[in-house]
Amino acid sequence: MTMRNRTSELFLGVASGLLLGLMTAGSAIADDPEEAEVGVEADVEDAIVIGGSIPMTGVFAFAGLQFNDGFRDFVQWINEEHGGVQGRKFRYVGQDTGYDPDQSVGVFRRITSREDVHFYFGDSTAFSQTINSALNRQDILMTGASFASELNNPEEYPLQFLLGPDYSEQVGVLLEYIANEDPGARVAFVYSDTEFGRDPINASVERAEDLGLTVAETIVTPPGAADISSAALEHRRARPDYTIFHGYILSPIPDFIERSRQMGMETRFMGTYYTMDQGIIDEMGDAADGFMGVMPYRYYYDEEADDYPIMRTIREMNDEYRATTYIQAWLVGMLLKEIVNATLEAGDELTGTNMRRALDSLEDIDTGGVIGVPVTFRGNSIPVGRIYRADVEAGRMVPVSDWIDLTEE
Amino acid sequence: MDWLFFFEVSLAGLGFGALYALTAVAFVVIYKATRVINLAMGEMLMLGAYMFFGFAAALALPIWAALILALVGGALLGLILERLVIRPMLGESPISVFMVTIGLSSVFIGLVEIIWTAAPRSLPSFLPSDPIFIGDAFVAPKTFWSFVIAAVVIAVFLVLFRFWRGGVALRATASDQGAAYGMGINVPMVYSLAWGVAGLLAAGAGVLLGSIAGISSEMGFFGLTVLVVVIVGGLDSVLGALLAGLLIGWVESLAGVYLGGEYEHLVTFMILMVVLLLRPWGLFGTREIERL
Repeated sequence: MTMRNRTSELFLGVASGLLLGLMTAGSAIADDPEEAEVGVEADVEDAIVIGGSIPMTGVFAFAGLQFNDGFRDFVQWINEEHGGVQGRKFRYVGQDTGYDPDQSVGVFRRITSREDVHFYFGDSTAFSQTINSALNRQDILMTGASFASELNNPEEYPLQFLLGPDYSEQVGVLLEYIANEDPGARVAFVYSDTEFGRDPINASVERAEDLGLTVAETIVTPPGAADISSAALEHRRARPDYTIFHGYILSPIPDFIERSRQMGMETRFMGTYYTMDQGIIDEMGDAADGFMGVMPYRYYYDEEADDYPIMRTIREMNDEYRATTYIQAWLVGMLLKEIVNATLEAGDELTGTNMRRALDSLEDIDTGGVIGVPVTFRGNSIPVGRIYRADVEAGRMVPVSDWIDLTEE
Repeated sequence: MDWLFFFEVSLAGLGFGALYALTAVAFVVIYKATRVINLAMGEMLMLGAYMFFGFAAALALPIWAALILALVGGALLGLILERLVIRPMLGESPISVFMVTIGLSSVFIGLVEIIWTAAPRSLPSFLPSDPIFIGDAFVAPKTFWSFVIAAVVIAVFLVLFRFWRGGVALRATASDQGAAYGMGINVPMVYSLAWGVAGLLAAGAGVLLGSIAGISSEMGFFGLTVLVVVIVGGLDSVLGALLAGLLIGWVESLAGVYLGGEYEHLVTFMILMVVLLLRPWGLFGTREIERL
């Protein structure tokens, strides 16, 4: 080996080491789980099995890891504290999907082929649509992370339900609040050009007009857009009193708000469920101050949380803040507990159809404080939410309305 | 027609176009020196932004230190890629090297998700935030300052490219590799230099882009529009990269306002299609460029 080769290899070694050091500096390498099995063993005959296509990696992992923890804690709690439901204990089996619908379907097939699954949790709208016929064929009841308005149709999706208001209803709750606070206000919708973004727009424009509000503008941004300069200028020209974002998690909301403030606008900004977790609000930095949005569940730190049994249990099991998606998983558990109880009391087997019938028979379900009012399903959704506003200094979301139930219109 | 509004929209588009131009220059430098179409450019940019995030947010280093370290990291990344991945591919068909860079982009996305997770994040803000007015026209400060920084970096690069020995060697290698060898230029070193400089430029563009739009493991998508820019400008033309960057930024901005956000990418790719049909070597490119 020549001297030059040796020097070159030495350089390469040092450079690689340095680069690795630079890249991992200040970061904790994620040690994410890829599958979970919690609760009673697979060979327990009368176990109630929850299966899950869970996005533990990928762009939706921030929610998926919380879902996973929520199911784990709920199953441990219901088995240990209550001995299950009517003596039947729970088992949860979840596997990572990477937030890829193909993988989600693969996970569904794997889990349902080796376990006698009674209930399933899906990770996306695409998965909910794709798996619908398989659910009907295999007679399994399912819920999931999606709030797509399309799923809120018991005829098309008889064995699925949503864990709160669908996206149109979420915007509906926001509009209801605006119409009460500021009758006749001008409202703009800013949304991404994706299925997720477009979901509530047409229905919401109609609803806004029905409520006597003026739709100042609907502004669409390309999927994954890095530059929203032109959209921000268009927004300024519309001069809305309220601006509702939908179809985003974080970006480009902070940039949009900053630009609007720099242009001297006093618009109040609002978002829907997936933008409203404290972790996402924290990432917005100062732009979040005063940001409002709809939340179907209580936050971990809610002032009244300790007055309600499930919120109290969640706080006892977790010393630090837990995301709203963790609380969402507990809601799944609480609903499932009620559904299983009603199905068994009716003397039925735990099939999807029987469990759906039980769900439809339930009224004023007590969620243990997760949702602030007793809930009854309307179609496939629970059209209830509350408006919160970000208090950046306090690092909290503060409620600014009571629980708004769209069925009371 | 509201001309002030048109002017504002145009300024916004040109401002963002400077970021396209900066990244496109990195793209062109690699192509000129090594004839490699680097489809991992968007992801190299993403890694630069994440390194900046690691230093500035997680380690809480001063912004200037974080920026220097991110740029050094970007340059090192370029050097290592060239030496470990690209150089062994010398002599292979261009399509093979092209495919390798596609593979690299997936590897980089995976790396970011392993190290930093895929959760979207904001970069610490470091650009001045006082509103800027040019006449009566408003320009968002982030857009204005990123334009200024990109323009200064490009100007420095062009001066170095023109007068510095390394820049001259790079140009000589680009125009005739055999002659460059004959004149005693260390051609492999020029390859490394080109990838190092491109890595540095990409990291800089990544930090600017991240400070505007936040960072996520999907931000490499930006590289796709940059690919359009370099094809439109001409794969081997620095001037083409600069002008096409500004042009695409401007047209996207106008399309977004006057046609709607859903037409931004449509218009961009229609320009690409027209250029490919009429001048497949780009507006300023050399005619004998190999087609893939």
